[in-house]
Amino acid sequence: MAHLDSHAVEITKEQFTVPGKAKMLALGTLIIGAVLTIIGVFTLPADSHDKHASNGGVVKVATVANPQDTGAKTDAAHTATVPGHGTDSAAPHAAAAAGHGHDAGHGHGDAHAADPNLIVDNAGHVTLLPKPTHKDPAHAKPAMTRFWANLLVNGYFFLVISIAALFFVAVNYIANAGWSAAIKRVPEAMYTFIPVGLVAVLAVIIFARYDIYHWAHYEHLNPAKGSADYDKILAGKSGFLNSNFLIVGTILFVSIYYLFGLKLRSLSAQEDNTQKGDTSFFRKMTRFSAAFTVIYGFSISVLAWLLIMSIDAHWYSTIFGVYNFATAWVTSLTLICCFVLFLRSAGYLKIVSDEHIHDLGKFMFAFSIFWTYIWLSQLLLIWYAQIPEEVAYYYDRFNDPQFKIQFFANLVMNFIAPFLILMTRNNKRNPITLGIVAVILLIGHWNDVYLMVMPGSIGSAAQIGVLEVGMFLFFLGLFVYWVLQALTKRSLIAVNHPYIEESAYHDVGP
Amino acid sequence: MGIIDKKVSLRNRGKLLLGVYEDEDQLMTAAKKLAGHGIPVLDVYTPYPIHGLDRIIGVKRTNLTVIAFLCGLTGFSLATLMIWYMNVHDWPMIVGNKPLVFATSWIPVMFESTVLCTAFGMAFFFFWRNRLAHGIQPELLDDRQTDDRMIVVVEAEHANAEEVMSIYRSTGAVETRERVGGVQTTIK
Repeated sequence: MAHLDSHAVEITKEQFTVPGKAKMLALGTLIIGAVLTIIGVFTLPADSHDKHASNGGVVKVATVANPQDTGAKTDAAHTATVPGHGTDSAAPHAAAAAGHGHDAGHGHGDAHAADPNLIVDNAGHVTLLPKPTHKDPAHAKPAMTRFWANLLVNGYFFLVISIAALFFVAVNYIANAGWSAAIKRVPEAMYTFIPVGLVAVLAVIIFARYDIYHWAHYEHLNPAKGSADYDKILAGKSGFLNSNFLIVGTILFVSIYYLFGLKLRSLSAQEDNTQKGDTSFFRKMTRFSAAFTVIYGFSISVLAWLLIMSIDAHWYSTIFGVYNFATAWVTSLTLICCFVLFLRSAGYLKIVSDEHIHDLGKFMFAFSIFWTYIWLSQLLLIWYAQIPEEVAYYYDRFNDPQFKIQFFANLVMNFIAPFLILMTRNNKRNPITLGIVAVILLIGHWNDVYLMVMPGSIGSAAQIGVLEVGMFLFFLGLFVYWVLQALTKRSLIAVNHPYIEESAYHDVGP
Repeated sequence: MGIIDKKVSLRNRGKLLLGVYEDEDQLMTAAKKLAGHGIPVLDVYTPYPIHGLDRIIGVKRTNLTVIAFLCGLTGFSLATLMIWYMNVHDWPMIVGNKPLVFATSWIPVMFESTVLCTAFGMAFFFFWRNRLAHGIQPELLDDRQTDDRMIVVVEAEHANAEEVMSIYRSTGAVETRERVGGVQTTIK
């Protein structure tokens, strides 16, 4: 490397102290978010659903070609019961609150296997009737459900981002990557947020699972086989979808990740105090990283099934785990890029050059496309095949105007914008364009998680209001503050990392 | 800068001044010295890539990415046109009650066509631009430039020949040559 002495750099420890402005900004976001959340909670509609009430409980009845269809009969009975509820929404809620009463009129009859909500006429036209379980006022959930659903969105979002940061560290170790050595303290700080995300998610699944998770409600009722409420599908899934496994599994998986994270962090800290040239820590970390990657690869899917996919308990998608990983991974890369840009602008990370920023920009670009690939794979196959129990998931997202806008905003924010903006080399090296794309991606993927959670958990009661904005800002502020604090704990440069020199001279040419 | 890089060809050039090196570090020193004297280096031929040399001799960024974008756009447009012509215009066909125009079902075809045209387009342009097509006589300055020799090339019309030769010698070139119309003569 002697011939590169024209831009020689010095590799020294850098002690980070959070600049006052950054601290104020993070705490300010946190406090504003908290205030907005509280305002949002207190202004929630009083345990009735505005949208339901304004609709007067009218359920859209689709034209059915074949009146003999059993679905049509079920529907007729269904519409007949609805207006009564529409006029008085408080009563059914009281019933629901008093032990989550399960109305027999639209329960999980054995007919559920044939799905009474779906009508297929002779020409092959599939018409989905609104699912009684979520759309019907008799199943109205407490207004606070919206708060819990939001907590799940944000808690899960920032939890999987933190875990993906740990995956970034691990994957760079097992790939023997050199370029990332200079920035590795940033993802190392980011995954310290895992416990906070876990607490938020645990709060939801311990205190509000009956309202969020349809199957938990069903498990709670535990109808006998052969009774009108018996649901073959949910009963069949109960070996996996049960409260014990939900809580224990979540704690177990996330704890394992965090223990690996702590181990990697402690080895990384010890490495700073050894002699230069000692690769024993690097080897150990590579081994731990390999073990973590295997465990993560399997269990992150299970975590996504447990926490998110089970909201739509009758539905399943085999690509869902990868889809969630893609969301978490690209957002994590985006945030790593943001923190690196911030630290550079604050005068730290002197050995990080435009080349590293360029690489992070490439990562954001590439994994936005990866996310789109997975997102479309799930959508396309279900859309093509049009199997009723699969289409139900997208029906919920297309039928509601608000969800529909958000659904297509997903594609614009998470694919079209980053794809077009980050296509050129200059934009991948420019902090301003990267910053713009980072904001778009962060909001876009939050929107993605929102769309995974909301339609199945609170349905048409969902809307982007003060509560949603507030809680996102709260979590964002908390995350940034937490990570900045974690960054002060050790040198920003891993001076004894075997590849630190390679990273300092990282250059891919003109 | 045009799409086709004229720099890669040695045909139709005037007198060329060649410095032959055996050592990478000496070559780098020579390149830096030439750059320091403001002498434009036409090219350096080495058997393996030398890190940082491209920046010193002022290699410009490739335009292949522009080609990639244009090819991708072509592929995308062709796919759109093809599906529209086949499935909408010429023989409208409704499959499984899916919308006729611009449906989600178009996406895989558009995607594949875009990728195909980009990949092939880039490969063909790369070969064209670097004159790598099968059967083209390679323009080797020295048989050993693919083995263990490195050759710096400066065009005589842009520099003082004496100055260049003295830089070559002072930096440890094992041989200095002139090349006029394809004929090389060793200069002592």
